Amino acid sequence: MLGSDLTVILPEIILAVYAMLALIGAVYTIKDGAASMLVWITSALFLAVAVWIGLNGAGTNVAFNGMFVDDGFARFSKVVILVSAAAVLLMSEGYMARRGLLKFEYPLLIALAVVGMMMMVSAGDLMALYMGVELQSLSLYVVAALRRDSLKSTEAGLKYFVLGALSSGLLLYGASLVYGYSGTTLFSGIIQTASEGQVSLGLLFGLVFLISGLAFKVSAVPFHMWTPDVYEGSPTPVTAFFATAPKVAAMALFARVLHDAFGDAVRDWSQVIALLSVLSMFLGAIAAIGQRDIKRLMAFSSIAHMGYALMGLAAGTAFGVQAMLIYMAIYVTMNVGTFAFILSMSRDGQPVSNIGSLNMYSKREPGKALAMLVLLFSLAGVPPLVGFFGKLYVLRAAYEAGLAWLAIAGVIASVIGAFYYLRIVFYMYFGEERDDALDKGRSPILYGMLMASAIIMVAGVVNLFGIESVAAAAAATLVE
Amino acid sequence: MSHEGTLLIIIALLPFVGALVPGVMIRAGRTACAWFTAVPTALALIMLLILAPDVMRGEVIQAELQWMPQLGLSASFFLDGLGLLFACMITGVGLLIILYARFYLSGDDPMGQFYTYLLLFQGAMLGIVLSDNILLLLIFWELTSLSSFLLIGYWKHLPEGRQGAKMALTVTGAGGLAMIAGMLILGNIVGSYNLTDILQAGDQIKASEWYLPALILILLGVFTKSAQFPFHFWLPHAMAAPTPVSAYLHSATMVKAGVFLMARMWPALAGTDAWFYIVATTGLITMVMGALIALFKDDLKALLAFSTVSHLGLLTMLLGFGTQAAAVAAVFHIINHLTFKAALFMTAGIIDHEAHTRDIKRLGGLRHLMPITFLIGTVAALSMAGIPLFNGFLSKEMMLEEASHTKWLDSYYVVPVLATFGALLSVAYSFRFISHVFLGPVRDDYPSNPHDPPAGMWLAPALLCTLVIVIGVAPFLADGIVRAAASAVTGAELDPHLKIWHGVTPALWMSIIAVLGGLVLLLLHRPLDKAWIATPRPEAKAIFDALIMSVVALMRRITDATHNGAISRYLAIFTVASVALGWIAYSGSGLSAPTRELLPVPIVIAVGWVMLVVATVSVVVMHHHRFRALVLIGIIGLSISAGFVYLSAPDLALTQISVETVTIMLLLLALHFLPKVTPAESSGAMRFRDGIIALAAGGGVGALAYAFLMRDIETISDYHIANSYEGGGGTNVVNVILVDFRGYDTFGEIIVLGIAGLVIYALMHALLDGPAARRLKNTDYTQDRSRDRHPLMMVVVTRVLMPIAVVVGIYIFLRGHNQPGGGFVAGLVIAIALLMQYMASGFAWTQERKKIEYHTMIGLGVVIAALTGVGSWLAGRPFLTSAYTYVHLPPIEEFELATAMLFDLGVFLTVLGAVMLMLYSLSRIARSAGETVNEAAMDYDPGEHVEDAKGGT
Repeated sequence: MLGSDLTVILPEIILAVYAMLALIGAVYTIKDGAASMLVWITSALFLAVAVWIGLNGAGTNVAFNGMFVDDGFARFSKVVILVSAAAVLLMSEGYMARRGLLKFEYPLLIALAVVGMMMMVSAGDLMALYMGVELQSLSLYVVAALRRDSLKSTEAGLKYFVLGALSSGLLLYGASLVYGYSGTTLFSGIIQTASEGQVSLGLLFGLVFLISGLAFKVSAVPFHMWTPDVYEGSPTPVTAFFATAPKVAAMALFARVLHDAFGDAVRDWSQVIALLSVLSMFLGAIAAIGQRDIKRLMAFSSIAHMGYALMGLAAGTAFGVQAMLIYMAIYVTMNVGTFAFILSMSRDGQPVSNIGSLNMYSKREPGKALAMLVLLFSLAGVPPLVGFFGKLYVLRAAYEAGLAWLAIAGVIASVIGAFYYLRIVFYMYFGEERDDALDKGRSPILYGMLMASAIIMVAGVVNLFGIESVAAAAAATLVE
Repeated sequence: MSHEGTLLIIIALLPFVGALVPGVMIRAGRTACAWFTAVPTALALIMLLILAPDVMRGEVIQAELQWMPQLGLSASFFLDGLGLLFACMITGVGLLIILYARFYLSGDDPMGQFYTYLLLFQGAMLGIVLSDNILLLLIFWELTSLSSFLLIGYWKHLPEGRQGAKMALTVTGAGGLAMIAGMLILGNIVGSYNLTDILQAGDQIKASEWYLPALILILLGVFTKSAQFPFHFWLPHAMAAPTPVSAYLHSATMVKAGVFLMARMWPALAGTDAWFYIVATTGLITMVMGALIALFKDDLKALLAFSTVSHLGLLTMLLGFGTQAAAVAAVFHIINHLTFKAALFMTAGIIDHEAHTRDIKRLGGLRHLMPITFLIGTVAALSMAGIPLFNGFLSKEMMLEEASHTKWLDSYYVVPVLATFGALLSVAYSFRFISHVFLGPVRDDYPSNPHDPPAGMWLAPALLCTLVIVIGVAPFLADGIVRAAASAVTGAELDPHLKIWHGVTPALWMSIIAVLGGLVLLLLHRPLDKAWIATPRPEAKAIFDALIMSVVALMRRITDATHNGAISRYLAIFTVASVALGWIAYSGSGLSAPTRELLPVPIVIAVGWVMLVVATVSVVVMHHHRFRALVLIGIIGLSISAGFVYLSAPDLALTQISVETVTIMLLLLALHFLPKVTPAESSGAMRFRDGIIALAAGGGVGALAYAFLMRDIETISDYHIANSYEGGGGTNVVNVILVDFRGYDTFGEIIVLGIAGLVIYALMHALLDGPAARRLKNTDYTQDRSRDRHPLMMVVVTRVLMPIAVVVGIYIFLRGHNQPGGGFVAGLVIAIALLMQYMASGFAWTQERKKIEYHTMIGLGVVIAALTGVGSWLAGRPFLTSAYTYVHLPPIEEFELATAMLFDLGVFLTVLGAVMLMLYSLSRIARSAGETVNEAAMDYDPGEHVEDAKGGT
């Protein structure tokens, strides 16, 4: 029994054990000297586990009496999480090392956060959910404040922590209400109590507070307030990480809770999710317009994107979940590329995040500017780039689920949002000449990631690399 | 798929494949590069011509490739008359532009890039006109925006070009995005995204309640693309692009995409009142306004740009009329406009190229210097003016004919009068183009020496001019294509016959008025120009820029105001949002009637409750004085413990009391090193606001709890009560839950507690090296220092209490399994006993008498607990399964021994160790802050004092 349970969660165990052993190993030996090596090992391990999960997994395996679920949906999310985490980790090495931030704890904290995320997407129980969420969050609180000598970074970490604690509290409050009214913490048990038309008020409150807590994790409006400050304050590689893997995990967890535990009460939560979605899309689009700092801008951009992903969720259908998964995979790919570019922005070796510094960038580095143009257009959802297909998916999902108003609102928000993405393009192509040019990027990793991501945005239009059917299969395991 | 279908797909893909070549081939030379661009374009044109006979017969050629079926997206193409017309225009003019650009661009321009973008754009345009799937059409639609952006922005060094490209892309891109929504709605109404299906479902679409939103959203895309009022302003500003680009994009292709789409959607959308009033009115306004502005533009290209705006308005108006005859006129005018406008743009480019200026005021008299150019320009401009024997005349005549019998609201005059006025203006600016550029005396102040360009440059416009005249003289030659295209637009079999002479019709009179009026206007141009410059008029671009600026400023203000970085604000928003969501949940389903009675409220309890409330409020009021706040918190804790006792939860009460005591004591010690008061940081209004929010949140939680307590619900308590004795061997359910049912949690918790103790210790270590330590050293404690730090009385009392407390602790520990108590409480009680010793006798004195390291104690506790758990493995049971037995040892009564007790011992040790380690950490701070360490237990040893007194006597 135990043996088979452990087999199911072997990937998580391997990563966790690795992180702990490496932590102890590094503490007692060369400490930060091992950091660079650990970054590479951790990334390699992520990729290896991703390949293993991606190729090896089959069917739905349940461990620990249903507390841990390994199904197609979980595997899809895990592969996205692992690959994006590996990519961001690799990108961060050079940046961190140059600025003396490369502590050996960094890759290991990321590894622990990833274990938490894998736990989140596989959670089949409120306990497992909370455990995953907290493991992830606690690791992230620390990495947000990694630059301890910077006031902004520590403030970001503290803010994130305080607000995160509040959201965890809300999550727990919701979870305890759900438990109190359904008598079980297992999703499979909750769904029997919460079927259409007879959701008791207690369960409903529990559901709503659960949603609030999770909304914080995906930074949906109005629980998004931490995002801009934390994105701006954290070291850029950490921001890049925040914008990618954790968002996938939180969104997947969101889908899992809503469908596994409350899948028969779609009507009860669909409107709430739609509300969060529309608020996020509009606030993200509107607030980003006035930003001068590209990291802050990306924070609002990610808020808006989460709004779109939530739109897929609000549909409450298998197609909606599929759309959400595709959207997230595309979103992550775009963000990896964009942050690879942001990471390479520096002047005299100092990191720069001012949008104005991109003036006439195309003249100095036409290749990178073109790649960035592709990414920004894709982020804006302009056809025919891949980002458009992600939007089209969620729009259709919402539309077909009878949320036409939401789909139209989404399109209007995307029109507003296009403005600020394009503004960056204009700066790069038609800005004013300035003397304070950015340094030439030297890192082959960053260059490679940027280019790869841009090429994917273009080449992906052929068939989205076949992700469509994989996501459909994944969504089907979640929504019967 | 048929042969024709395959050919169609090849046509659609050819430019994209071809686009890869020129960028690479630029090394082979500029001419080779142009050839490599021309070949795929020519091939596409040839293939189109091969298909043309079939299409002209009324066949529709279709081809489909699967793409993303789930999205309703398939790469399906179809070719009918309308598609054929546009496709031929795109490839045909494309060829001419390639030729023209080869000679126009200078050697410094990166020509490979240019041709790549051009082919990309051409492919996108072909895609639009050939798509049989509206989603596919959308993709190509935005691809034209993207590639046109690259083309317009091709000359990066021109500052005015940048602004133009920015605005062009912002406006058209946004319009295209809005169109996505319209297309989605359309597809949903029909149930298919196939254009052929949609075109046949016109009645269904017009009857749908979603018709109007879909129409508006689609028209937004169309109007922005075709520069219709009020989006007309971007087109002239995009003219900073190289002239081949302007000629291609802004006469033949991109701006016509909007017109194309209106024509394409004609069967599905046209014919309603909404369509007529929105489309025809917009077209009419655009036509007149564009022509008016064009008349007063001095930049040749700006003149042509506004003239294009005007002609696009004309086309839009015709399509807006919704009649078949108007559709025929529109199709015909599309062809004619293409021929003369592309020729004119190229002429303007030649003039700019040769004379180095496009300013009409600096030109004139070029007739003698550039005879060929003059000929070409004049023919094209006369056609634009609508002079007989040129093709522009024919279609304008048809337009005026349609306008003459169109009723707008209730008036029969609005449309004809305005249309004639538009035509009049058009004549005026066309003549101005001829007379102010070519006629008049030769000047001697041209920026350069103008002369006719090489044949390569004038060949393309000359070809177009030939067409102008051929169609103008023998319009029946165009019958076939116009019939095919117009039939495709209207979806009905039409058989138009294009003729030069229609007899003396109202349209002819209108034409005559227009030409004469135009001549008059031209003569009056100088004074009119002055008046025009003098009249203030809204400049659309300035308005656009100001609008954008103010919106950005407004957004920034809103954003900065809400996201100001203050965590108090974030917390406030967070809390308000949670309360609001709670309210949504509540209002969603309502509350069932309460099933329980309120318990009676004895007076004592009521008083206790009031005291609790008062104490709580007092904390809020007095929290600036930390010491007082701490005392009040202690009171609150005790009241809550009393509440637990009253509500029959002695376990909770016991735990609460001991935890309360320990934390208050530790806090008290910590307070010593902190400022005595909290500064007030927020204003009164803010505090009031926060108070309201806090009340709402607290009230919400309270109301929720109240609501739940008033109703009977199934809870999990019954299960625990039923199973705690049988399964866990204890009657104290709480303790059994802790050490048995949820033993694993407890195990985790004690580890966490132990880690917390260790972390505090470690942090303290780090703290004492940092700036905080320096601050500590500088603190002045002399003021509030008691002169009697270790008072005799207290020392004595704590010594006496020590054994009693320990016994109580052991007692609580032992009875824990069945009665209130347990390892956790016991650990706290013992910790309190020790804490008292430390406080009374001083840290050093107590420390000397300590036998076990606290770290060890924590570790030991965890290990014992773990081993207990592992023990059950040995018995073949899951981790932490408890076993128990009854032991009878005389003379003691029979008692129970459970493995859970061993586990409890682990809990006990960990708790004790952790608390004491925290105390130790605090004392370290004290010492680093300059606190002295006492060696003796008391400041004042009575023993010594007595001896002193003896010695004295």
